[in-house]
Amino acid sequence: MKALQIVKYGDIKDSLTFNEVSKPAVQATDVLIEVKAAAINPIDKSIVLGNLQGLLPIPFPSTSAYDVSGIVVEKGDDVSDFEIGDLVYSRVPQEQMGTLAEYVAVTSEAVSKKPGNISFEEAAGLPLAGLTALQSLEFAGIKKNDRILIHAGSGGVGSLAIQYAKAKGAYVYTTTSTGNVEWVKELGADRVIDYKTEDYKTIVKDVDIVYDTLGQEYTSEAFQVVKQGGQVISVVGPLDEDTAHMFGMADYKLPEEIATLSADKEASYKFIFMHPNGSHLAEIKTMVEDEIIKPIVDTIYPFTESITAFTHLETGRAKGKIIIKIN
Amino acid sequence: MEELINKIKSNHSLSQEAEDYLYAISSKKYFAKGEVLIRQGQQVQNVYFVTDGCLRSYCYDKNGKEHTLQFAIKNWWISDYIAIHSDESATLTVECLKESEVVKFNAKALEKMYTLFPEYEPFQRKILERHVVSLNKRILNQLQLTATERYALFISQYPEIEQYTHNYHIASYLGITQESLSRIRVENAKH
Repeated sequence: MKALQIVKYGDIKDSLTFNEVSKPAVQATDVLIEVKAAAINPIDKSIVLGNLQGLLPIPFPSTSAYDVSGIVVEKGDDVSDFEIGDLVYSRVPQEQMGTLAEYVAVTSEAVSKKPGNISFEEAAGLPLAGLTALQSLEFAGIKKNDRILIHAGSGGVGSLAIQYAKAKGAYVYTTTSTGNVEWVKELGADRVIDYKTEDYKTIVKDVDIVYDTLGQEYTSEAFQVVKQGGQVISVVGPLDEDTAHMFGMADYKLPEEIATLSADKEASYKFIFMHPNGSHLAEIKTMVEDEIIKPIVDTIYPFTESITAFTHLETGRAKGKIIIKIN
Repeated sequence: MEELINKIKSNHSLSQEAEDYLYAISSKKYFAKGEVLIRQGQQVQNVYFVTDGCLRSYCYDKNGKEHTLQFAIKNWWISDYIAIHSDESATLTVECLKESEVVKFNAKALEKMYTLFPEYEPFQRKILERHVVSLNKRILNQLQLTATERYALFISQYPEIEQYTHNYHIASYLGITQESLSRIRVENAKH
């Protein structure tokens, strides 16, 4: 079968190539998915560039990407939740990475039926970003009347987080650039801040939760706008100590700047490491079917133009998800 | 099952042997919400008479979106008739939208009923006629009514169905987007 593979760390164009590889083997707890569509995410680009080789080292060659939608064509002996012919979607676990291929084998625990009211292409863009948003805001315990700042409202995670937070009855501030203000408003955000013309730090004060999807200075600035005793949740900032210990970094200490800011505000800091989870995807399926969450697709590329899709992702200017239609 | 027998008997004569045969080829089944009776791609052997609940038959298009062919509530029949009559595997999936009670018939055995008990045929013909009328109406409505009119008609036919269906079930039955359905509902609420 045809697969887009990472052959080395480095520049997108030199490090990705189409290869003919064998169909993946199906373990007892796996389903084999005939891939209809895959989505690429910032993490896929970071892996190719080699930015994550410490945390997520990969062998070469490795097939790229984690998000998938498609049809179950084979299943292992221990799989009882799925039948051949089921239309499914998944964020595959690290060890099964490789959705930019005609087939991918996935442990059934990471799989869910796809929402019935959206296409394969729309569904492929949901798992990684949807699980990240859901697991982050569930961890934060977001509830009615909470005030939350969600950075990058037009991004894959941000656009879903806004809709989820609104469904929970929260008041949502979000940041985006001028061109995206209108459609981000349509997602339900109460106050859309155009970061090109407004300084969010003068508008957002004492929120219950800051959801940091940008990192760097935004992580430390979060403590300026969060309330005393509030929560800063990040998916890109430094690891918190519990998470680092979980990854086996026994001596890890939270960077001093964040530790001090957090202590001064008595605000908690948590790094959320998205984990693949089929039952969370089933929750997202229901929310999509109930029209609580709507997937946002920027561009759909044919499989043959996957590398162009990666260069599009690299610009960081996508409105919603970049999808690759496989067959 | 008694209900179905009584229904037949109210307009047609039915011998004791025919009644016994109907009992012999049928069985009462209960299904939970979300359970699948017929799955796309599989062989189809049964037809179902709904005594309580609500079921839906649907198929997927090449993009993976669902299209609803039929809802079946009390006193309706549901199956994949294309599969049964063309001897093909199922193109439709039939699922329960709420807890349902059905009488399951083996399709081949039910067909044999006409040759064994000709007095049953008028009843079966009536069912078929009703089915054809309903399909013709559905096609014509699709061709000549506006989305708003189709929705109004749908609600008058299935007044309670909105309690246990997703919006997209209804939108995909009417052949409109969920956004259009929401718009129609908002418009209706204003009047």
